[in-house]
Amino acid sequence: MSTDMGSNGPDSLLARPLNWLETQSEEVYAYVLLMPAFALLAVVAFYPLIETFRFSLLADAVASADPFGEFTGIDNYLNLLSGDTTFTQQFISITTADSFPFVEFGAPFLQQAIFVTLAFAILSVFFETIIGFGQALVLDQDFYGRRWVRVAIIIPWAIPIVIQGMIFFLIFNPTIGFGSEFMQWLGVFGSNPLSSSSDSFLIVLVADIWKTTAFMALLILAGLQSIDRGLYDVAKVSGASPWQRFKYITLPLVAPALIVAMLFRTMDAMRIYGLIDATAGCETVPSLTCLVIIALQESRRWATASAVAFLTAVVISGFVVVYLLALRNNDGGVT
Amino acid sequence: MDFVTTAVMVDLDSGSDGGRVGVSRRRFVQAAGATGASVSLAGCGGGGGGGSSGPIQITMDAEWEGISDSVTQSLYDAGLDESIEIEILPGDFESGARRSEFTSALDAGRASPDIFMMDSGWTIPFIARGQLVNLSTELSSETIDYVQSSYLSSAVNTASDPESGDLFGLPLFPDYPVIHYRRDLVEEAGYDPDAENWATEPLSWQEFAEIAADVWEQNGGPDGDQIDYGFTTQADNYVGLACCTFNETMTSFGGAYFGDHENLFGPIGDRPITVTEEPVLDTIRMMRSFMQGPDAEYAHPDFPQISTTDLLSFTEEPAREPFTSGNAIFHRNWPYAIPLNLDSDAFDAEDYDVMPLPYGVESGAGEYEGTGGPAAALGGWHLTINPNTQQLSEAVQVLEAFANQEVMINNFSEGGYLPPDPSVTESVNPDEVGPLGEFLETLAVSGQNTVPRPVTVAWPDQSSQVSSEVSAAYQAEKSPEQAMSDLESSLNSIESDLAE
Repeated sequence: MSTDMGSNGPDSLLARPLNWLETQSEEVYAYVLLMPAFALLAVVAFYPLIETFRFSLLADAVASADPFGEFTGIDNYLNLLSGDTTFTQQFISITTADSFPFVEFGAPFLQQAIFVTLAFAILSVFFETIIGFGQALVLDQDFYGRRWVRVAIIIPWAIPIVIQGMIFFLIFNPTIGFGSEFMQWLGVFGSNPLSSSSDSFLIVLVADIWKTTAFMALLILAGLQSIDRGLYDVAKVSGASPWQRFKYITLPLVAPALIVAMLFRTMDAMRIYGLIDATAGCETVPSLTCLVIIALQESRRWATASAVAFLTAVVISGFVVVYLLALRNNDGGVT
Repeated sequence: MDFVTTAVMVDLDSGSDGGRVGVSRRRFVQAAGATGASVSLAGCGGGGGGGSSGPIQITMDAEWEGISDSVTQSLYDAGLDESIEIEILPGDFESGARRSEFTSALDAGRASPDIFMMDSGWTIPFIARGQLVNLSTELSSETIDYVQSSYLSSAVNTASDPESGDLFGLPLFPDYPVIHYRRDLVEEAGYDPDAENWATEPLSWQEFAEIAADVWEQNGGPDGDQIDYGFTTQADNYVGLACCTFNETMTSFGGAYFGDHENLFGPIGDRPITVTEEPVLDTIRMMRSFMQGPDAEYAHPDFPQISTTDLLSFTEEPAREPFTSGNAIFHRNWPYAIPLNLDSDAFDAEDYDVMPLPYGVESGAGEYEGTGGPAAALGGWHLTINPNTQQLSEAVQVLEAFANQEVMINNFSEGGYLPPDPSVTESVNPDEVGPLGEFLETLAVSGQNTVPRPVTVAWPDQSSQVSSEVSAAYQAEKSPEQAMSDLESSLNSIESDLAE
């Protein structure tokens, strides 16, 4: 096996590093083997992020062939954070005021992308978790027809986003939809829900909950089914009430799966775009991703679009860090 | 710990009992490295094709692709060298999506397609960025003279550099809206469109609204369930509101975005902003009355209700559908809707007609040059040449061939595309040009009263400001005064931001 060692040709070039490798510990060897993967990750994950950041420090050049102008530092970020962009929809636009509540909105609340996105992410993940947990608890029981209930729960998840968007668009379409009249009768919606930011926000929220609750239910169900049934038998013998069984057995044991599911859903919700585009449109419900598209495609302001994209990544990673901190103290195996 | 596990798994394959035997690390790294290198080299093998001599590619849309044989043949008949092959590619039907597609093609310096079909509403920003071939230096002087003297001048303006006046796009077809209406319902209600010359003499908005309200009333009105709308138009918060429906109505009342129409294409930052004036506010108030009646908040007391707030979510197609299905009496739309309406199942072709858009104040009564009188927003498309093309002279020859009356007539009869030279529209034999042939007189009147949108490099930003402020005022979220004053300040800030 080792007779060709030290021979002429390309092998001699490699001899020194290979000999060095032969003397290293298992751990160093493992890192060396992983280096190509890290290099690939750097190219596909970090290079675009760094380029986006670099673009975001340049000026917009709407009147020249090159879409980027001179270096302007953090001007684009300042414009975005002070609500001073040329778009109708702002990233954030708050000014301080002298009287209660001491802040004023420069643009309406639901025309500010950060609030639309945060409100959407928090509300949708909250309701999806609660409803999904309920569905998972039902599915975890043995009962006749359980298979059919599973299918029924998963159907919304199987529908493509744009088709689902069209369903909700048509429900609230003024000429053929039935939804607007019903909601007006309830006194919830105004005369034209798809043109009103608050009504459309609710529509998008409900559409998302309808669709993705199934996703939460399935992940939580997987967590539930990995719980040792014997624990419940012991608890029953010890006289624990159903609530106590839930609180002391189900919840702690399902928590890692639950938090991972919520992490996925939160990241997904913060990136919401397709559903909005197919129902109310980005002008009416501007999410962060919407703002990137508006800046890029309508205004051809590439630098501003890059800045919004980078800020979006920052906001999402902020949320991810919170989840990772929550997961650090249990054996979920994510961190 | 994980790393150790991995190493153990490798060892298992060699059947060891814990010691490391078999492949040495150096062997493994060498083999893996060689495999990786050859895989990545293989990945570079493809691509790179494409030479300088292929067909001339024109990105148009699926409709044009459908008639490409006939279009190509008419170009050869017009004298184009038959050795030049033409390929019409279907671009996205939606204008905004096509703009994005072309923006990326030009920003990336791609050589294909050779010719773009660009919306007259967004050609000028490409010209201002220097991303198109200057046709004034490429086309023959006869063609340039023909285009500049005989083509619809408002269309030529949207294809030229506002500063130098050089031509960068060859207008392919203009587009201007008309009012589509149900002749049978109008006549049953006691009106006589023929005697009153509706086809060629525009009504005022006042007369139009009163007629529409009356005919609607006789067919159930707002509270009945026979016909849903007296009138449908586009009032959604979208690009068409700023460029077209609001622009034309405001212009017909004597209002303007930037004062005199000579300011439409600039200079940015050095032109008045006139959106807070009374004609502009009246336009909003009239639309409020149309949707919610004269007693509604911020409505104009002189105009009746002829529609509903559904208008607020209508773009072209949602506004057309109720009309084509027999649920509206009057409808504002582009000529593309004519063949569709003639084919309606809800009414016969003879029960359908068109007329020019109404006017707010008499021609010349507007305060600004170009305003007042009937006004129809100018849509339409131009052909422009990609500066990165490797077949410039062939592309230029194709454009030369398009500037031909026979080609225009062919496009008109095959696809319903209006000739960019109005004299062709007037002289054409109505029987030869398909469904639009019956309505040539009306189309000619609309063509004489077109108003282009104010396209500059600032317009993409300004357009969304206009549509969202106007939409907010239409929904009575803001008073017309407040919305237009907000619009004035945002237009101002964009103008000063981009001042030339």
